[in-house]
Amino acid sequence: MENLKLEATKYTPGITLTTEGIISLVGKSYPENTFEFYAPMIKWVEEYFENNPAQTTIVNMEIIYFNSSSSKLFFDFFDLLEENSGEHNIEINWIYDEENESAEEAGEDFIEDFENLNIKLVVK
Amino acid sequence: MQTHENKLIAEIEALKDEFTETTNKLIKDVRRQDKIMARSDKRQQKEYDELMALKIEIEETQKEVVFTMGAIGEARSKETGNHVKRVAEYTYLFAKYYGLPKKECEMLKQASPMHDIGKIAIPDAILNKPGRFNQEERTIMETHAQLGYDMLKYSNRPLLKMAAIVAYEHHEKYNGTGYPNKIAGEKIHIYGRVTAIADVFDALGSTRVYKPAWDDKKIFNLFQEERNKHFDSKLVDIFFEHLDEFLHIRDTMKDIKD
Repeated sequence: MENLKLEATKYTPGITLTTEGIISLVGKSYPENTFEFYAPMIKWVEEYFENNPAQTTIVNMEIIYFNSSSSKLFFDFFDLLEENSGEHNIEINWIYDEENESAEEAGEDFIEDFENLNIKLVVK
Repeated sequence: MQTHENKLIAEIEALKDEFTETTNKLIKDVRRQDKIMARSDKRQQKEYDELMALKIEIEETQKEVVFTMGAIGEARSKETGNHVKRVAEYTYLFAKYYGLPKKECEMLKQASPMHDIGKIAIPDAILNKPGRFNQEERTIMETHAQLGYDMLKYSNRPLLKMAAIVAYEHHEKYNGTGYPNKIAGEKIHIYGRVTAIADVFDALGSTRVYKPAWDDKKIFNLFQEERNKHFDSKLVDIFFEHLDEFLHIRDTMKDIKD
């Protein structure tokens, strides 16, 4: 299985997925076709958990700005992580700027919704 | 029979469990959607408010820049008192009755006080000379239209672009004998034509270092004579049609020394 790297664009975050267990999303997320855009990432993560993942998977998400379909997608993504959290060790860092109220609230929503996931709010 | 019945119940029980599971998942999903929507609504409200505040900030900044530049020009050429303020009001009236949209009239009112901004680059000895200019001085004085345009032409801000046109064309005449480009008729932008007549009306009625104020009869005669010569006749018509409003502005915004 190969690593996957997508460069950030004006509307989409930079994405790095490595077989060593790093999943990282950094930047803005407000594309028009959110679900299409993230499809390769979701596919990669599904395959990753099926094929012998790293001992600990670290998910770093630093999303400065996101639209509502991105929120929905992140929920779906966390569903996927939660499904795999029983068998695998997953640590999630939701990173945001102190002044970014929307990002902070979104992080709190994720923690509330995913009791079985280890989500940390990290203020920059 | 008994066995068959039990099997059916078992199947229904299984369906019920599956149904409950699916329903729970759907409820969870709907809750999430609602939450996302609520968050999104809140954020949109905030973003729109911020956008509007920024828009106002930008408009106010442009107004302030234009007003300040007008004030600089005015301070430099002492003569004028309330001149630019009255010209602003006159241009608004002309523009309104000419049929320009209200927003454009408002902008022209703010931009027209910049018409003489080029004068800040004219030497004091000429700018404030009491008495008539000789030919050389007149030529230098007339460069203020081009100079004003050159100062403003690089801006892409709507109000400053408008001010650039006003500065450039407010000395053009309808019959093509004005300056700096001797353009004629509707080739002169409406902002230029409007500011020209507003500026002249105010200048004639005011005392200047080189001339006393004209009486109304003399001004009105000149305006009629200059139909389609100096001025666009449509604007001359507007002037006489709404004379009371123009005179009202003049009366309420008199120079203190008058």
